[in-house]
Amino acid sequence: MSTHRYRTPALAALAAASVVMMAGCATATEGGTTVEPTGDPVAGGELTLEFWPDNAAFACVDPFQTYWIEHRQVIRNVADSLTDQNPETGEIVPWLATDWEISPDALTYTFHLRDDVTFTDGTAFTADSVVLALDSAVETLEAAPGAYGGVYISGYESSTAVDDTTVEIHFATPNAAFLQGTSTTNLAILAASSYEATPEERCLGDVVGSGAFVLDRYAPGEGIDLSKRDGYAWASELNAHQGEAYLDTVRINYVAEDSVRVGNLASGASDIAWPRNPFTPEDAALLESSGATLHSRSLPGPSQAWYPNVSDGRPLAELEVRQALQKAIDRETYAATIYGPDYPVVEGPFDTTTPFFVSQADALAYDPEGAGELLDAAGWVLEDGATYRTRDGETLTLEAPITAETPGDVLLQDQLKQIGIDLQLPVYQASERASLTANGEYDLLVTYYTRADPGVLAWILDERYAGSKAFAANSQTAETAVAVQALFDAGVQETDPEARAAHYAELQRLLVEEGVSFPIFERVQYAATAPGVNGFRYTSESFLSYYDIWKSAE
Amino acid sequence: MSRYVLSRIGQAVLVLWAAYTVTFVILYLLPSDPVAIMLSANNVEVDSLTAEQRDAAVARLGLDRPVWEQYLGMLGAALRGDFGTSFAKQIPVSELLAQRLPATVTLSAVAVGFALVGGVATAFGATLLPRGRVASFVRRLPAAGVSVPNFWIGLLLIQVFAFTLGWFPAMGSEGWQSYVLPAVTMAIPTAAVLAQVLIRSFDDTLDEPYIATARAKGLSRFAVQVRHAFRNAALPTLTILGLLVGATVTGSIVVETVFSRHGVGRLAQESVLAQDIPVVQAIVVLAAAAFVVVNLIVDLLYPLLDPRIARTPRVSRA
Repeated sequence: MSTHRYRTPALAALAAASVVMMAGCATATEGGTTVEPTGDPVAGGELTLEFWPDNAAFACVDPFQTYWIEHRQVIRNVADSLTDQNPETGEIVPWLATDWEISPDALTYTFHLRDDVTFTDGTAFTADSVVLALDSAVETLEAAPGAYGGVYISGYESSTAVDDTTVEIHFATPNAAFLQGTSTTNLAILAASSYEATPEERCLGDVVGSGAFVLDRYAPGEGIDLSKRDGYAWASELNAHQGEAYLDTVRINYVAEDSVRVGNLASGASDIAWPRNPFTPEDAALLESSGATLHSRSLPGPSQAWYPNVSDGRPLAELEVRQALQKAIDRETYAATIYGPDYPVVEGPFDTTTPFFVSQADALAYDPEGAGELLDAAGWVLEDGATYRTRDGETLTLEAPITAETPGDVLLQDQLKQIGIDLQLPVYQASERASLTANGEYDLLVTYYTRADPGVLAWILDERYAGSKAFAANSQTAETAVAVQALFDAGVQETDPEARAAHYAELQRLLVEEGVSFPIFERVQYAATAPGVNGFRYTSESFLSYYDIWKSAE
Repeated sequence: MSRYVLSRIGQAVLVLWAAYTVTFVILYLLPSDPVAIMLSANNVEVDSLTAEQRDAAVARLGLDRPVWEQYLGMLGAALRGDFGTSFAKQIPVSELLAQRLPATVTLSAVAVGFALVGGVATAFGATLLPRGRVASFVRRLPAAGVSVPNFWIGLLLIQVFAFTLGWFPAMGSEGWQSYVLPAVTMAIPTAAVLAQVLIRSFDDTLDEPYIATARAKGLSRFAVQVRHAFRNAALPTLTILGLLVGATVTGSIVVETVFSRHGVGRLAQESVLAQDIPVVQAIVVLAAAAFVVVNLIVDLLYPLLDPRIARTPRVSRA
């Protein structure tokens, strides 16, 4: 099937619209109306989905190892997990496991499994499959210490198959986040044949799951082909239907140019455009005028934020300067200017879709006067006629290294200039990041993770678990680190939901007040679907489920 | 004659060796940390490793050996066609190139074909047309073709021929249709340079006395230009063509990104971003080889077009 495929009405509409625009007398087009699903779902057809470029640094579709959100989305449709998570409520619901018990000390998890599930290679899913998956995860973690899935199994000791449909998982230290972890793609259960392959082979597509789709081909940088799993009968209750998926095949292409991805959708050459960055207002208008439907949902996990370097001798070592910086960022203007008037304003260290999210909007309010007073009190004063504040002849300069300059960086630079902070944006290569953090040659750096659990921030900020120890150590003073680590521990070990919520609320307040996280913007996953594509559904991690999608007859 | 051929081939081998060595020095010996680069390609921050883990990684990657040993070992392997394993994609570089090369070679060949036809036709048009507005317009086309950025032409072609008219796909590598827009995009600057040089040579050649003689014998302008002027005017164009064919390797980086094609250009872009050293090195050598081979062919063609060249090998030609 060729990618060069047009739906005649959409093409005609677009051609007409282009001609009108070319004639220089653009008039309001009749597009923009949302097409409601009409009639019953129709099985069959191919879905063409366009992603932004593949991960150039780490081509990997192994569930346990990959961190790339587009890969995780594909895995979600290929490999099932023990549980699923409701995107609206954060509630964990049965999937491959029918129910479960957690011991009061949060050290032992017992899962009761479905007995009717098979992998795509025909082998049965049993308690042994779960044991093998977890033990293999530990092995993978030894070979590749930074493997992304490591965050989900901290404290894991061993697991035993009690009988075919009962598995017990033991932890050396309590891990209350594990239950949510079992709903993620990273702890998806694969067939034994996949674990016989090496981690590298799994990365390149040796992935056999029990999902509604089969991974037929993964060509790094080129695309991914999926086909329907015949006889699939174990969808979680969060889906709109049961049984086999509607689509016969899903074809995924990587398209580097945003304008080409948008144009392909608008002209009918693709069914879904899945960008990494939000659509620009111009692209959104073009898509709507072609009859496409736009979707958006915040990505759960830490918001896009700066994390400071509070080492001695750095300006941000002083609490007053950090607090002034928190007040100096105009987040409302940032969202409206960079992403458009409807874009949500970030409200805390986490995005709003993260479970246990508590808005810190008041503490993050734009307050240039307050920022100025704090800096004056700290001795950083603005001399007459000067642009930047100085103290003892030294200018208040903050270095925020970036890989490529964006309009957002320049806006922040301007916002900080208003209160006399000189924000420098030196450009570095991605591969230099390790030495940059190890040597502490920065004041502010951006990073983020996507996971529907607040505990994931420990992977950034808790020196004991962090991917980069130096980054975590630089981000907070020793006293703050003690308090932050205690809250992370309490959050992971506390099984009472209310007490857990209280710990995470305190964590969010502390991170903002102490200036450990400087939220910049809410990370939102956008998507556009062509007319005739129905059954679009975001998962709890804001990935796309292909399972309910069906295409109207053309 | 054979001495001429041998010296050209010797130079070509020397250039290839130099390209390999310079890339090795730049990529492996500059003050960056190859271990950190390789580990971060696997999402492992080097500072999260213990000293023993780090030493083990260094030994596994063969970076604990003396630089000379590393260089000779890699050069020897490269001579056998083994460029190591991609850090990011975990498969042998030679396999990766074998997958990606055909798409780029075909595209480049089509683009060079388009460029030759377009460039020569423009030059003929500019010199044959009666002096006037049309001729001076055609004469100025190459300057525009050289000045307009490649990616912009590509996006413009996509907008018109893919999104609006729907004649050709905006992306992909399936069917002959998918070659048209990228090849045209790549051909425009190449054709423009060819046309510029050829127009200039035509202008010089057409002033030569033997052209006046041919005209005086009663040959038509067209016949004179094709049979007498073209062969003499073609030499500088052939030199440029050699360079331009080599340049399609670099041109493919932009074009393959814009048109989402999976060739060596895209691979080069991805590998540079990911600092995937073995792949970058192999591509640099490959690009050098493309330059060298094409220029070797051009050098060997000169004597056929102009027998004087091989008979005076000592005369340096810039």
